Amino acid sequence: MERRTLLEALAAAAVAAVAPGPVRAALNPSSLRYLRPPGALAEEDFLGRCIHCGQCGEVCPNRCINYFGGENGLSSLDTPYIIPREQACILCMKCGDICPTGAIQPIERGLEPILANVNMGHAVVDESLCLSFQGKTCGVCYRACPLPDIAITVGMLEQPHVTDLCVGCGLCERSCIQLPQAIRIVPDFT
Amino acid sequence: MSKPFFLWRHLNKLRWVTLTAVFAALVTLPFLHVYQTYVAAHAYDLLAPSEQRLYDVMEWLTAPFTEDAAEDLGAVKGNTWSATLWGLKLSDPLAVAGQTAAGLSIHWPFWLTALIPVGLTMFLGRFYCGWICPATFLYELNTNLAAWLQWAGLKTGNRRFDRRIKYAVLAVGLVLSAASGSVLVAAIYPPAIIGRELYYVVALGGFGAGMVFFLATLVFDLLVSRRGFCRYLCPGGALYSLIGRYRLLRIRRIVETCNDCGKCNAVCEFELDPLRDGFGQECNNCMACIAICPTDALTFVIRPTDYPAQGPGHLGRQYRKLQEPTLGEAA
Repeated sequence: MERRTLLEALAAAAVAAVAPGPVRAALNPSSLRYLRPPGALAEEDFLGRCIHCGQCGEVCPNRCINYFGGENGLSSLDTPYIIPREQACILCMKCGDICPTGAIQPIERGLEPILANVNMGHAVVDESLCLSFQGKTCGVCYRACPLPDIAITVGMLEQPHVTDLCVGCGLCERSCIQLPQAIRIVPDFT
Repeated sequence: MSKPFFLWRHLNKLRWVTLTAVFAALVTLPFLHVYQTYVAAHAYDLLAPSEQRLYDVMEWLTAPFTEDAAEDLGAVKGNTWSATLWGLKLSDPLAVAGQTAAGLSIHWPFWLTALIPVGLTMFLGRFYCGWICPATFLYELNTNLAAWLQWAGLKTGNRRFDRRIKYAVLAVGLVLSAASGSVLVAAIYPPAIIGRELYYVVALGGFGAGMVFFLATLVFDLLVSRRGFCRYLCPGGALYSLIGRYRLLRIRRIVETCNDCGKCNAVCEFELDPLRDGFGQECNNCMACIAICPTDALTFVIRPTDYPAQGPGHLGRQYRKLQEPTLGEAA
């Protein structure tokens, strides 16, 4: 009996080897907008490394790291994610230090290493929702940004302009006083 | 005739202390994490009364060991699947096997984290299963529950399956991990599930599919097969058994003092056969048989393989019968 199950599994593996794209798509069917912790590898490499141990969440002082159930497909089960509108990353870089597999790379907590290596996503401003673009001076996202004048600059009436250096921590999205938020992180991990 | 060292029969108690300590640590760590985030946020005055109670208890627990709780408590993180203890990273060999299968490449820094567990397993065999595994703690209590239920007249299961199924589960788990590119064995491995789910329940306020799976294995053990998951299905147990196949520390029956009472076989959680010298690669050195042996006929031995079958115990009836013809001739 166990031989048959083994053969079935080998057959499944053979199918996956021949057509990895469709199989992975079936295992990962979601269109959720989520971020991986700072320093995470590109999605496919990340899933191949992450062992679902949960230490990144346990070490996160900001409790922004949550874990998937089945909602993002079987291959994402129990892997860490961040929904920036709920709780954003403060770039403390502790998760990369503790990650045993390098799924989240260790990155020194400093401006240069963070700019060079963190690539969670990038902020995008919806000018039709943003208060500053509607003539009401706001600037909350600029003040929430841990990299002010580097990742976000402000112009007239505190209108935010996101630069290419934005690492996607999500603190701007978290703090936006508009509902729905006028600034969002578009994930870069795919 | 050698008597085993008197402490050996008490090691089973030490095993229970260890199991309880590991489980207690796994329950405490998520609370410490929550406390740590409260400290980091300087938020005591903003906490709800129940949260303040948690803060006070955790502060009382940790104050003797920490100066700055927010930083110092970061020293101990994780669970038995993978943990960080004062900078030392330790991982379950199954985590390494699963990750290697999922990533289809060897990541050496991670392999090194399993070095100490693998080394210990090569010496002590599948000791993890009996001494550390947080699931074992619950499964053994589950066995006791089954005994109570039987005492109360309810039927519990003691069905037997082929012990080799778990090696197939291990192989299938690794193949599926490779096929999906994600460490799927983590989803069916009870100690990994317990470590995770305790964190989810305490820190994130909810539990995932793993908890349902684990409860199902408890019911399976209770109603279908005593200790069935560990004996027949656990992929981690299979891997530990393979690594510990030529373990050096083994239990040995002293045939001269054995009286064939069979209590060792009855008490063995893994349904091994100490009575006929059948320990094999799946013995986890839990020492329950040593603790229960009424004639002190089980002891430790350093040897890479089991003793070959030694025949009936010399204090037993069967051995006397075998001896009778020769005794008659002598007379």
